[in-house]
Amino acid sequence: MSAAIVAQHVRRTSLAQRYPGILMGSLGVLAVVLSFYSLSVGATDVSMTDVFNAVIGNTGDQAAQIVVQFQLPRVLLAWLVGIALGVSGAVMQGVIRNPLAAPDVVGVTKGAGFAGMLLLLAIPGMPVVAVVPAAFAGGLAAAALVYLLAYRRGATPVRIALVGIAVSAAFEAGIRFLLVRNPLDVSAALIWLTGSLFGRSMSSVLEILPWVLVLVPLIVVWSRRLDVLGLGDDLAAGLGEPVERTRRLLLLFAVALAAAAVAVSGTIGFVGLIAPHMARRVFGGKHVASIPAAALFGVLLMIFADMLGRGLAPPLEIPAGLVTAVVGGPYFLYLLVKTGK
Amino acid sequence: MSVDTAAQPAQEAVHQRPKIVTSKQRVTWVSLALLVLVVAGVVWGLSIGSQQISLSRLPGAIVRADEPDELIIQSIRLPRVVLALCVGAALAVAGALMQAVAANPLAAPEIMGVNAGAVFVVVLAITVVPSLSGAPTILLAFGGAAAAGVSVMLLAGSGRGRVSPVRLALAGVTASSLLISLTQVLIIFDENSTDSVLFWLVGGVNFAGWQDIRNLLPWLVLGLIGAFAMARSLNLLALGDDMARGLGQNVERTRMTGSALVIVLCGAAVSVAGPVAFIGLVVPHILRRLVGSSYTVLLPLCSIGGGALVLYADISSRYVKPPFEVPAGVVTALIGAPIFVYLARRQKVTS
Repeated sequence: MSAAIVAQHVRRTSLAQRYPGILMGSLGVLAVVLSFYSLSVGATDVSMTDVFNAVIGNTGDQAAQIVVQFQLPRVLLAWLVGIALGVSGAVMQGVIRNPLAAPDVVGVTKGAGFAGMLLLLAIPGMPVVAVVPAAFAGGLAAAALVYLLAYRRGATPVRIALVGIAVSAAFEAGIRFLLVRNPLDVSAALIWLTGSLFGRSMSSVLEILPWVLVLVPLIVVWSRRLDVLGLGDDLAAGLGEPVERTRRLLLLFAVALAAAAVAVSGTIGFVGLIAPHMARRVFGGKHVASIPAAALFGVLLMIFADMLGRGLAPPLEIPAGLVTAVVGGPYFLYLLVKTGK
Repeated sequence: MSVDTAAQPAQEAVHQRPKIVTSKQRVTWVSLALLVLVVAGVVWGLSIGSQQISLSRLPGAIVRADEPDELIIQSIRLPRVVLALCVGAALAVAGALMQAVAANPLAAPEIMGVNAGAVFVVVLAITVVPSLSGAPTILLAFGGAAAAGVSVMLLAGSGRGRVSPVRLALAGVTASSLLISLTQVLIIFDENSTDSVLFWLVGGVNFAGWQDIRNLLPWLVLGLIGAFAMARSLNLLALGDDMARGLGQNVERTRMTGSALVIVLCGAAVSVAGPVAFIGLVVPHILRRLVGSSYTVLLPLCSIGGGALVLYADISSRYVKPPFEVPAGVVTALIGAPIFVYLARRQKVTS
């Protein structure tokens, strides 16, 4: 099904696909501009000049302090989480050849969230650095569970999605269960239930940074292999690709990226699903273009969601995960209606 | 047409299961077992709590309630137990009705977005008019439930003949998650207590009072009587639309009436207890396994079984970590998810 969609996009080469560099560059510029604007949005009004001063290092006055201490980590985190989720979704959709695959659809997000929270609550003195491996284990376990449960003479896209929803529901019940047993404050609870960048500091940025820095370039380098996998198992094997090993490694990378994102920002939904779709629509099916594009669209979505959540009704905060769900839900429905035809 | 000729072929047709014909004896045993479960659950539910109260106080508590112990039973524990039974009955019967009306084993109020729609509208109403409670909220919940259910049906494409169960479920679950997210946004704007967040997102009977039961009861009675009365039409519907028409059924009217009853039952239950998860999916499927698919038997048993499930979920939720209480909805979600997986695995996917 996805192969058909991909093929259809490849055939219809648009201007964007012939000159991907220009459009990619302008998307990047847009993301940077949006980030700067986002730095000025929040409970306290900060002017754009203050933002510039703060970013180039003049951290004298109070406004600059606010920008550097509270806003900057959030915006950086929005970039990293957006990249991680977008790339993770693109790889999953490419490897499973399933347009409905995404870290949240196949249960990785909720599984990682549950494991991360379990670790934090079970061992109170636990260093936060250990959350990422725990989330990784949880996400991997959830993904394996979904695949096994959905497998019945092959695992069709729709059945994976449905089983993923059920497994996610179970893990979400688990998260709620932990929340009731260990009453946290509301904002912490919402971070784990819906995902949010509220109250995150530079240390969170440093936690996710190595994962993104190592895995994303690796995946981009391997994007040719993703294209080869997209040709089908037989053809890929004929071209000398160790199909199973490549597929397993790529999936492992995708789960690791999603888990790192969940560990710092909670369970943010739908970004990993819709960013790759947007990327494929604009840049076509070649992964060397669509994976960086998915990362950029992920960044744009995250910055937009975080900014909207912060700016809509300050000082109240709407978690970014709620905004992405409100935007992403209809898009998923649209995909569902479209894949049925 | 006699009851038997109507019931037998229906049992064979629904969901094509080989072992269908269930003896009257089996139905009797299952009903008895369920009743015993309910009675035991009521006694258990009344006897646990932070205050030790002997069960000999129970009759006194119901009749007069003078002493503190009796008052605790009468005003805190009894409404909780009664509400659990009522909510469970409403949701389970609504689930069975929905599966019949949509001819779809994965149909259930919580999966098709009906519960989430009701919750969203109720929370919206409470946010806009904080003093609102009781009867008007129930009417609003009907509106939300109906709007959500109809939109999901349309989105999944029921206009083009039979919808694949899996697509309907996916569309419904996504619509639900959208509505739940919007509800959370409203709650954040409105007030900031984890309790109310969990109540409207998970559902439970922790805060039950007699007023809730008074609000729910008329709708519950209406919904249950209506559902039982149309059991035989539902059996005919299970034979397929053409067959049912040939046997003189007005298929469209049966569907409309059934859907209206689903909305009444779910809207009323959700507006007093929140969206308790998976009851409408789990209970009918388990009971169908035990007593077969004839709705004349299934619907009454669902009302008892649903009550029992919510009651026991509520009881076990109180044992997790005593002064804190996990909402019953968390427990039912943990029970329901594996059964949902099982049902999803069984579906032949055609999309």
